[in-house]
Amino acid sequence: MISYLTPPPRTSRRDFLRRTGMGFGSIGLASVLGQAGALGSGAPAIGSHFAPRAKRVVHFFMNGGPSQVDTFDPKPILTKYDGKPLPAENLRTERKTGAAFGSPFKFSRYGQSGLEISELFAKTAAHADDIAVIRSMVAQAPNHEPSLMLMNCGDSLQARPSVGSWVLYGLGSENNNLPGFISMCPGGYPIKDTENWQSAFLPGAYQGTYVDSKHTRLEQLIENIRSPHATAGVQQRQLNLLRRLDGEYQQRAGADPRFEARLESFDLAFRMQTEATDAFDIMREPEPIREMYGSHVQGRQTLIARRLLERGVRFVQLWHGGSQPWDNHDSIEANHRRLAAEVDQPIAALIADLKQRGMFEDTLIIWGGEFGRTPSVELNENGKSKMGRDHNHYGFSVCLAGGGIKGGTAYGATDDFGFRAVENPTTVHDLHATMLHCLGFDHTKLTYRHAGRDFRLTDVSGEPIQAILT
Amino acid sequence: MSMPASAVEPPHWAFQPVRRPDLPAVKNSGWSRQPPDAFILARLEAVGLQPAPPADRRTLLRRASLDLTGLPPTPAAMEAFLADPSPDAFAKTIDQLLASPQYGERQARLWLDVARYADSKGYVYAREERFFVHSWAYRDWVVRAFNENLPWDRFLKLQIAADQIVPEGSPDLAAMGFLTGGRRFIGVTHDIIDDRIDVVTRGTMALTVQCARCHDHKFDPIPTSDYYSLYGIFHNGADQLVRVDATPRNDDFEKGLAIRQKSFDEKLAGRRTGAAARLRARAGDYLAAQLELQRYPEEGFDQLLQESDIIPASVRRWRDFLRQSGGAFHPILAPWHVLSRLESKDFSAAAEKALATLRREHATGLNPAVAAAFAMPPASMKEVAARYGTLFGAALKEGGDAEVGNFLQDDAGPCAVPEAPLASIELFFPTNHVEELWKLQSEIHRWLIQRPEAPPYALIMKDLPPEPLPRVFRRGNSGQAMEEVPRQFLKVIAGPQRKPFTQGSGRRELADALTTPDNPLTARVAVNRIWQQHFGRGLVRTVSDFGLRADPPSHAELLDWLAAEFTASSWDVKALHRRILLSAAWQQASRPAPATDPENRLLSSQNRRRLDLEQLRDAMLAVSGDLETTMGGKAAELFQPANKRRSLYGMVDRQYLPGTFRTFDFACPDFLVGQRHETTVPQQSLYLLNNPFAADRARSLAKFCEETPPSEAPGVLFRAIFQRPPTERERELASQYLTEAAATAAGSPPAPPPTPWSYGFGHYDEDSKKVTKFTPLPHFTGTAWQGGPKLPDDTLGWAQLTAEGGHAGNDLDHAVIRRWSAPQDGTISITSSFKHGHPEGDGVSAFIVSSREGELARASLHHGEAELGYRRLEVKQGDTLDFIVHLGGSLNNDDFVFSQTLTSGDHTWESAREFTPAPSAAATVLSPLAQLAQVLLLSNEFTFAD
Repeated sequence: MISYLTPPPRTSRRDFLRRTGMGFGSIGLASVLGQAGALGSGAPAIGSHFAPRAKRVVHFFMNGGPSQVDTFDPKPILTKYDGKPLPAENLRTERKTGAAFGSPFKFSRYGQSGLEISELFAKTAAHADDIAVIRSMVAQAPNHEPSLMLMNCGDSLQARPSVGSWVLYGLGSENNNLPGFISMCPGGYPIKDTENWQSAFLPGAYQGTYVDSKHTRLEQLIENIRSPHATAGVQQRQLNLLRRLDGEYQQRAGADPRFEARLESFDLAFRMQTEATDAFDIMREPEPIREMYGSHVQGRQTLIARRLLERGVRFVQLWHGGSQPWDNHDSIEANHRRLAAEVDQPIAALIADLKQRGMFEDTLIIWGGEFGRTPSVELNENGKSKMGRDHNHYGFSVCLAGGGIKGGTAYGATDDFGFRAVENPTTVHDLHATMLHCLGFDHTKLTYRHAGRDFRLTDVSGEPIQAILT
Repeated sequence: MSMPASAVEPPHWAFQPVRRPDLPAVKNSGWSRQPPDAFILARLEAVGLQPAPPADRRTLLRRASLDLTGLPPTPAAMEAFLADPSPDAFAKTIDQLLASPQYGERQARLWLDVARYADSKGYVYAREERFFVHSWAYRDWVVRAFNENLPWDRFLKLQIAADQIVPEGSPDLAAMGFLTGGRRFIGVTHDIIDDRIDVVTRGTMALTVQCARCHDHKFDPIPTSDYYSLYGIFHNGADQLVRVDATPRNDDFEKGLAIRQKSFDEKLAGRRTGAAARLRARAGDYLAAQLELQRYPEEGFDQLLQESDIIPASVRRWRDFLRQSGGAFHPILAPWHVLSRLESKDFSAAAEKALATLRREHATGLNPAVAAAFAMPPASMKEVAARYGTLFGAALKEGGDAEVGNFLQDDAGPCAVPEAPLASIELFFPTNHVEELWKLQSEIHRWLIQRPEAPPYALIMKDLPPEPLPRVFRRGNSGQAMEEVPRQFLKVIAGPQRKPFTQGSGRRELADALTTPDNPLTARVAVNRIWQQHFGRGLVRTVSDFGLRADPPSHAELLDWLAAEFTASSWDVKALHRRILLSAAWQQASRPAPATDPENRLLSSQNRRRLDLEQLRDAMLAVSGDLETTMGGKAAELFQPANKRRSLYGMVDRQYLPGTFRTFDFACPDFLVGQRHETTVPQQSLYLLNNPFAADRARSLAKFCEETPPSEAPGVLFRAIFQRPPTERERELASQYLTEAAATAAGSPPAPPPTPWSYGFGHYDEDSKKVTKFTPLPHFTGTAWQGGPKLPDDTLGWAQLTAEGGHAGNDLDHAVIRRWSAPQDGTISITSSFKHGHPEGDGVSAFIVSSREGELARASLHHGEAELGYRRLEVKQGDTLDFIVHLGGSLNNDDFVFSQTLTSGDHTWESAREFTPAPSAAATVLSPLAQLAQVLLLSNEFTFAD
């Protein structure tokens, strides 16, 4: 145990920053070096437990809950029953549902693997052999709030650090001039707001930085990134003076590594003003690349994500939009078609783009929502069909691709109608364990001491899904 | 890592009684100034370390002032102290600091970290007001408690059981915000109680009882049964919002309140009656539901419910009632209890036997109508439920059985909706009623939150009528209730002879048990928290965990001496601060730790401490003369430029906590934080460099120097900011800076490049495909061009253009037009996205019109999106392209998004990105003197207390 008053161990500065960095520079010496002393508890970011297959993560979050039977979990029997009652009683969900509702979308087999994917994701499906679908996900409640918390933070109700915060805590960031964990959501927050990327009991520096990607101007994207009252020249002079005056102070007060850490963070902040401008500016991409992603905000934020990942940002979440766009209780055919069209091209573009840059092999891509939707049709108060689907936490699909993932795989299964996971039911803890595994962590050992317990992302259960790992 | 203590080992140090040790012998007897010094020095001498020399007087005063009040000393106070030669000068100064109202403000903030204080509830459904009414009254109570030096035991007791200690209406009821101010967990009872158990046990005794929710504590001797003993205490109460200042406010306020209260009360009463009637009418169905409990989810699994639905909360109430009444004979439910214990195999035969026994043993007790209904043995439990259903139905009719009727009508019975605040009973209502009730309830809360004259309210806990004993939930799952446990204190503290609590919920007894002088933890934990405040870390570094895995105390005897002294002094907090600050140990200079004690656990010097968010912000406001010292009252957004009050009074909105809070390591308000993280990240630097906050302070300081001759200005700044004159070298550096900064006329940001974009309104003639009367919009707000400072403008109405879109004008003569004028000849391609986001109204229409080619694209949208574009348009310098939007049929929800990208070869114009920046920032540019002041505010000397 080392306290915050000791000089840093003899590590090269570069190693030091890599080991301790968490995006937007390093956490202060106090936290890195001090353990129990400065932080009260906890271990520093020690890096992976074993060789990671993935070094960064991008999570497409279809908030609201995409329907599995309309996307990645084909159910021909459901189609046969269309309009008739399901043979077994409908499971209890948030609202009342009625007869079987066959998918209006056509499924086809793609790639060598023949993975079945619906027409909604036809462009993404071109990469079917790179994608593993878990068709047997389960959550705990048919409500957005607890399910978002579970998917993002591993606990339905209690305040726990988000996956991105854990990953940053475990791996740090490779770019000290940018936040290491960025959550982009165009047009406001999803349900549960900033809780989705909270760091909870981990230091505040590990929390996700929210970016409203509907904006295009940097000042609106990152707080305090521009000075309204000083030019770069003035700031440069101010920082020079700061260093010189601090030298005087240090002569009197003696050395303290925290002094230097602060001065450096001013220099980093100064440089960031340029670096961030560059990272968020997709107009610096050649036109063909921009066209590949498309001009929709989903394409734009996906392209920004690639620029960020390329610059060493560790974890990027791409939310579909404020509130819960995929929550299609009614008219699911039109709504899912529109939403999928917005995101299908950017996902396909990102996979192709990462491949051409040699980044696909060590980038973990995740697609999914907080739960799925019922195979039965939702009813209104008078018992009439709304042509939509209710929430379903009993069985839904999540897709993974990239670093460490065995493509062209379908894992687990729901029942014949797509209501409940029946083969290899997979908990969110299993999913998180799998993600951490790809990143080189034994999920039972990535822990943080808080309130007397060694907490982990996966609480007390969860196993990496070997079948989808390379 | 420690393992649980075995029988032979002595008990864990923290669980042993506190005894007051003798002062150890020391060699350098002249060093000590206070008894604690002997303990520190003895350890240092034992390892051959020397204490650091005393800090100089300037350092001492700044350190003391920041420690006690959270503010640096004023230059005047500094000079007075330096000029006072009397030997007790420092002691007098400490007394002044302890007597200043700012003392309570600083100490309160530290306690609010423990109390996981926030002004909002966390995530709630839209129907519910998301801010607490009571938070600020609790915060102000804490400030007062410190300023009045409330004894620590009473301070804790009131926070846990004021409702049972002080009379109704007492301002001390506000103390209970400690219990009730946590996150609401969308109303899930078990989690709310869990949060309260944690804040109480970890906050007062540093015991992590919460770990025993699902299984016996892995490390500490806290069995799950102890967790549920405490759970029962908190379960047996409900939150209640009470006014703690009865003085009538003005009529308008009181009347407004009364009206809102009345409509809520009436609606709630009506809904309760209605719900209870439905429950009675379907009592048989609720019994039947007991046979398939798995179909009715626990709290936290929310279904939208209608009046005709079986209400899961009522199924659970029946379940609990049956569980509790099953232990003894019940005149009505006895057959249910007896029969539900039978196997389903050969049910009928077994039932016949069981019923016969029942009739024999309770010939008189059993209700005759019930006896009649079960004269013949039923074939299954389903049938039992059905018979009860018939029986209940008959009893509710005119002339039905009175005893059964009363059972169904009983307010404490299974069919009732308890008379309790909405938050405790909302689940008994169908969804539309819940929404309607919350809306009315929120009207009251909003009235109290928004009206400035509203009196303080306390959110207290009030005991409910005694409930049956709590049961242990297997693995924390409320669906799996196991054995009963008494409501009582923790065994590890109360010992094997402990007695169950007997008064009501037992909450008052819990408060007493926490604060008896022989509780080995409470005093130790309190003095350790205060020690941490003065040395940067506690004698036990894990300040909120004194369990077996806790960090052992660096000076166990000192901890005990302080704890013993603290209880002996009647828990006198100010005396404890005074004693610590007068010690030689505290008054040491700070210096790098010796190699043999790299963490400085032995305290051979003071620890240099970095100012936390509140200290830093308050100090900046203070030294610049901007600090407003008004105390108490409602919270306001902290990072608004107009807010110049102490940071303590900043709004802590736990759901939308502004990022800057946690950037500066503010305590996460979702759970108790005993020690903040200390991080250094560039977001902090960006805030200090670029946010107007520090710059505004620097401007105030510069203004303060206006009358000063330039050569004296650095001296004035140093004195204000550091309470000391600059050294020669510093004066030289500062003057040199000022000269250079003045000479470089680069003080103002460069003028923005000429823009091809202009913003106006006009009429688009769809026949001629031409824009008539393009007129620029006259007013820029900083983010939008529009008719005037307010929207709608008196003459130009709603017409507005923003970076991404805007709002169509009120009629077709006020179409809004974003115009691009070609800066050179070329071929351009246009892409744009156009969006109307409202189902209301009748939508808007957009057009792209070239001055050379006429209309290029158009779309009319209502709650939809479109991409408008054009490929390869020849333009000559000076040609215009107009992006026009006008309303649909009528003025209704006509805001839109419409942004364009124009490309020509490798040149790109983006309408949103190139939207007119704020008007020239010349007026806001920092003067050289202000630049200097900002540098001083950013310095390490300002940011650390030596």
